[in-house]
Amino acid sequence: MMLTLLDELLLFSGATLLVALFIGRGLAAGWMVTILYGGQLLALLKMAVLGYGGGTIASSLSFEIMGQELSWRFDGLSWFFALITIGSALLSSWFSCGAWERSYIRQGGNIWLFHTAMALNVFTMLILLASGDLLSLFIGWELVSWAGFLLMVLAGGVATSAAMRYITYAMAGGMAIFGGLALIYTASGSLQLEAVTTAVEQMSGAKLWLLVILFGGGFGVKMGLMPFHLWQAPAYAETPGPGSAFLGAISSRMGLFAILLVLVKLFGIVNIESLKLPFTPIDARDLLAWIAVFTIILPTFTAMKQNDARHLLAWHGIGQGGYMLLGVVVADAMGGAGGLLHVFNHATYQAALFMAVTAVIYRTGTSDLNKLGGLVVRMPLSFVVLLIGIIGLAGLPPMNGFVSKWLVYRSLLNQGMPLLFLAAVIGTLGTILSVYKLIHNIFLGQLRVEHEHVSEAPWSMMIPMLILSAIIFVTGLLPGIPLEWVASALQTVGLPVPDHTLGGIESASGSLDMIWVIGVLFAGFGVGALVFYSAGRSKRVHQLDNYAGGHFLSADVRYQYSDNFYAGLMHLIGGWYRGSFLWLERSIRSLVEFLSLGMQGLYRRANAEFYLLTTALFVIAWVVI
Amino acid sequence: MIPAVTPELILYTTAIGLIAIGLAGVVLSSHLFRMVLALVIAEAGANLMLVLAGYRWDAVAPILTSRAEPAAMVDPVPQALVLTAIVIGVGIQALAVSILIRIRQRFATLDRKEAAERMDAEIAATLGAPRDISQEAPLGERPLPTLPADQINMRGDSP
Amino acid sequence: MSTNLVLTIALPLLGAFLLPVLMRSSVAIALWSGPAILVYGCWTVAELWLSGFAQPLSIAIGGFAPPLGINLYVDSLALLFAFAVQLLGLVFWPFTLDQESARRQSLMLLLVAASTGLALSGDLFNLYVFYELAAVATFGLASASGSGAAYVATLRYLILSGIGSVLTLFGIALIYSQTGTLNLAHLAQLAPAQLNNSLGLTAFLAILIGIGVKAELFPVNTWVPEIYATASTRLSAFLAGLLSKLALLIILRLLLLIFHQPEAAQVILILGILGVISGELAAWRAKEMKRMLAFSSIGQLGMIFIAMALPDGKGMLAVLALALHHLIIKSGLFMLAEDWGGALERLRGSAKASPLGAVLFVLFSLSLVGMPPLPGFWAKFVLITELAAQVEPLYLLGLTVFLLATVVEASYLFRIAATLYSNPAPDTLSEEIPKSKGLSLATASLFGAGMIAVALLIAPVGDGLQAIAAQAQDVDLYITTVSPAVSGGSQ
Repeated sequence: MMLTLLDELLLFSGATLLVALFIGRGLAAGWMVTILYGGQLLALLKMAVLGYGGGTIASSLSFEIMGQELSWRFDGLSWFFALITIGSALLSSWFSCGAWERSYIRQGGNIWLFHTAMALNVFTMLILLASGDLLSLFIGWELVSWAGFLLMVLAGGVATSAAMRYITYAMAGGMAIFGGLALIYTASGSLQLEAVTTAVEQMSGAKLWLLVILFGGGFGVKMGLMPFHLWQAPAYAETPGPGSAFLGAISSRMGLFAILLVLVKLFGIVNIESLKLPFTPIDARDLLAWIAVFTIILPTFTAMKQNDARHLLAWHGIGQGGYMLLGVVVADAMGGAGGLLHVFNHATYQAALFMAVTAVIYRTGTSDLNKLGGLVVRMPLSFVVLLIGIIGLAGLPPMNGFVSKWLVYRSLLNQGMPLLFLAAVIGTLGTILSVYKLIHNIFLGQLRVEHEHVSEAPWSMMIPMLILSAIIFVTGLLPGIPLEWVASALQTVGLPVPDHTLGGIESASGSLDMIWVIGVLFAGFGVGALVFYSAGRSKRVHQLDNYAGGHFLSADVRYQYSDNFYAGLMHLIGGWYRGSFLWLERSIRSLVEFLSLGMQGLYRRANAEFYLLTTALFVIAWVVI
Repeated sequence: MIPAVTPELILYTTAIGLIAIGLAGVVLSSHLFRMVLALVIAEAGANLMLVLAGYRWDAVAPILTSRAEPAAMVDPVPQALVLTAIVIGVGIQALAVSILIRIRQRFATLDRKEAAERMDAEIAATLGAPRDISQEAPLGERPLPTLPADQINMRGDSP
Repeated sequence: MSTNLVLTIALPLLGAFLLPVLMRSSVAIALWSGPAILVYGCWTVAELWLSGFAQPLSIAIGGFAPPLGINLYVDSLALLFAFAVQLLGLVFWPFTLDQESARRQSLMLLLVAASTGLALSGDLFNLYVFYELAAVATFGLASASGSGAAYVATLRYLILSGIGSVLTLFGIALIYSQTGTLNLAHLAQLAPAQLNNSLGLTAFLAILIGIGVKAELFPVNTWVPEIYATASTRLSAFLAGLLSKLALLIILRLLLLIFHQPEAAQVILILGILGVISGELAAWRAKEMKRMLAFSSIGQLGMIFIAMALPDGKGMLAVLALALHHLIIKSGLFMLAEDWGGALERLRGSAKASPLGAVLFVLFSLSLVGMPPLPGFWAKFVLITELAAQVEPLYLLGLTVFLLATVVEASYLFRIAATLYSNPAPDTLSEEIPKSKGLSLATASLFGAGMIAVALLIAPVGDGLQAIAAQAQDVDLYITTVSPAVSGGSQ
């Protein structure tokens, strides 16, 4: 039997899992696993044809179980997501080797389980990405859900309750998909993709609505879409450092992948647009777009109130998912490209940010934003990485986040959706404000006494961070590189493809050439630097060589303003933080608790025979009537 | 219209009435022994029902006395079945009574509610887990009265 | 050859009565005769299966041909369950040596004999007798632990079960008065003409509620949490795993062969839905493992009832798959619970003390909530595709309840898994952490291995189940097998 390229990739990934499983306790296990991720990346690159134009590569693995055919294959979309998956796994794993690993073991962590969980996550994600029909999609989906649970539950303590919350949400989502699957199977008699597309054409509006809700909701749980967003931030943030970089980069994007495959490719945006919400002017597509927008705004402003760097980043991860969905739902050439490109861009800067924060934790032992500050003088490289990351996250030039967000905005304007545009801009405003809080409270301001002797993060952690920073910048300068892959992915799901160049987008309604933008930007920087240095009046002083209120400062006086950040803003908008979703979650929980209590009461009381008699009488009465 | 009162009707009514009385007894009585007795009554009703199912008024007992084929015989099968059912019933009743004796020895009560309470308490104690819910003692107050020492008989000797 | 099958009932029955006598003369013989009988039983069934068993057959007892005589009906389904009974009887055999062991072993043999009879019998009254025999054995075993709580629980179970028997007998009497026969094949022939009325329906419902006591049918399942909390774990495993399925099998046969009224299916569906809701919700709050398993098994049985309610035997495959899956998983979970009794909080850190047990628990739980590619997923998949194909809203309600219940199930099962893997409370000594070990762990591993084997061989197993289901569904085949003379009769 000839192995196809996809077989090779999956075998490689499976081998990585086995290596982690069996020799994961060894000394060099981390390096070995990292090298194997590199091997997976090579195997993926051998399939690069998928990223440049298309076709599919099938796996020779296929089953027939109980009349269901299961098959696996890769296309442009899978390849694009797989590239991000393996890339972030490679860099996260690299980051975890050496120094971080040793400190993790010292703190009582189980490094074997960590490597195994990572490898399992990558393996299951590849299986999900390769799914060739809806049944294998569901199998991959559940595998990914449980693998994610394993990684989240690793840290114990707070992480366990976060992971438990996750698994309840994920199960609810999974069951919604399961139900949708059953309905589709009834309608089409098969779970093969072609059969489903045909069945959707003949489906009544109500049924399609139900399916859109079931699948959209089910996949949305993983993405952290609006009413289902509560689980994600704590679960990702409490995962051990490199794990949260990996999860934050790619894990919840599996939801977007599934939405693209099912809602966009199989159902078709046109069909979704034809579903009207009764008694209102909006349709299902608008509904999705508004959900996406609220997913941008609310979590972003929640992030602003976080006092833990990891939680802050994790909340942003949810918000940024909203941009991706928004772009995909707008579904014109620019929107689709923007949404998908943002998946790539977000993965790069989110991983870099989580790594930078983990490096800070490695050196200082805390990620509490009220207990840090001034680290720029001690960890300058980490500062640079974080700076590059937050520029990307905020969507400002010259980093890659700018390109994808620009595309999404542009498409909203082109399609005449000013309200959505406005809402998205409000979200970006919140992002800028909160990432400033992040970098200010960690790196700027006053260096704390206890961090006086902190040094830069070790090279084993620094190199992956620098690689990511380079990618963030280069793909910001030359967005044409990832846009090639995005175009191939868009083609696969049947969305229009924009005209792209190495520097950006060519379009009648507005072009973007990042080479020019960045050229101008750096020219401006150059002029500024020229002015600054030619004046020659600057002098280096120690941070404490200063005075306030007529007193000279000493190291033990705290003059950095970090707690209750943005007090003025909070005075304005603080009343809007209602915690309504938390309240909703709690009330569902207590409802279940209450019902459970009632049911136990039912089984406990001495009236067993009474139940029996009542039922018998009821049933006989029913028969007679 | 009142249906004609035939012996069949009376017997069927009796059978169903016995079942009903038995079931009502099981549900309503608060003493375990009475519950067992009520069960016996209900079983008698069910057995009567089974006998009636195969009985024919114009036939003779299904015993072959001579070579000559009799005109009509009562269906023998239900009678055989009822015999079996009675035997099973008696066995189960005996078992029930023996268990009743054990309960009396352990818990010094045959009151249905009190026995259930003591059972819950003992389950909770052996499993080391809190009782799932308690309607009687909301805050864990009101402990059960301690058993009178002279009435407990762990070895099961006759008192 | 096939007549040896009678011995799988007769030998354990004989052994049950001889064992106490034998025990007085020679302990060794008495100790080994029980397992030997069961091994022989396993072998007999397996041999019949392996020697190319394809067509169902009917064995007349005592030389009287049915419908006059009593017969055993042997098809793949019956054989499968007969094998499971013998095998599980061996697995859950009370190997302990003490004063009580003779009694316990003979009761166990009685239970095995009665259960095999339940699987094989083709006569309604015979089923009733075996059912009562199994009940008596269960009462004896449930009260064997000798605690006051066990006696009270057993008595409450006995009374409930007694009412169930009265109802069953009532139903049987009704059927007999309508048709004049109790042979299932004969009934299947007569049913469309004579039982397709409200009297027939009443009879079925009376039998359903009566036999439902053992099948953990809502609401006659209040005994479940009490008995499983007081009886030995092995007995609980046998009751939850196997006996409930045999009661289910009887109801299934009646439904397939005799009662085709849509109302019958509707009642089963409603009761099944209520069972799922009540069981899963009650388990969510359980503070102790055995109780949680008891409630969860009520919920699982409810799911099987939902499957059974599908019209025209469409749910047959789902019933079979869910039932066998539950049999393996629940037995394994109960074996793990044997050492993990007590408050759930005490289990903190147990994963370190017994890693294999914890892994097995996680695997069983995953399969129970239906994670692919474990067998539970396929069982649930078969069920929900059939449910979704129904147009009646009640079935769709069943589907919704089923899916929601799975979420609740995952929530409480993984709460335990997380407890197992969390660190013990700081002031507990390592000796205090319960460990899963010895025989119970070995037995649980056996079930775990079985589950993994099924997961790997899912394609052939699925085909096999489909064949079994198709055979069991074939009413004409049943009738012609039992009484060839009337082939193509009144059907």
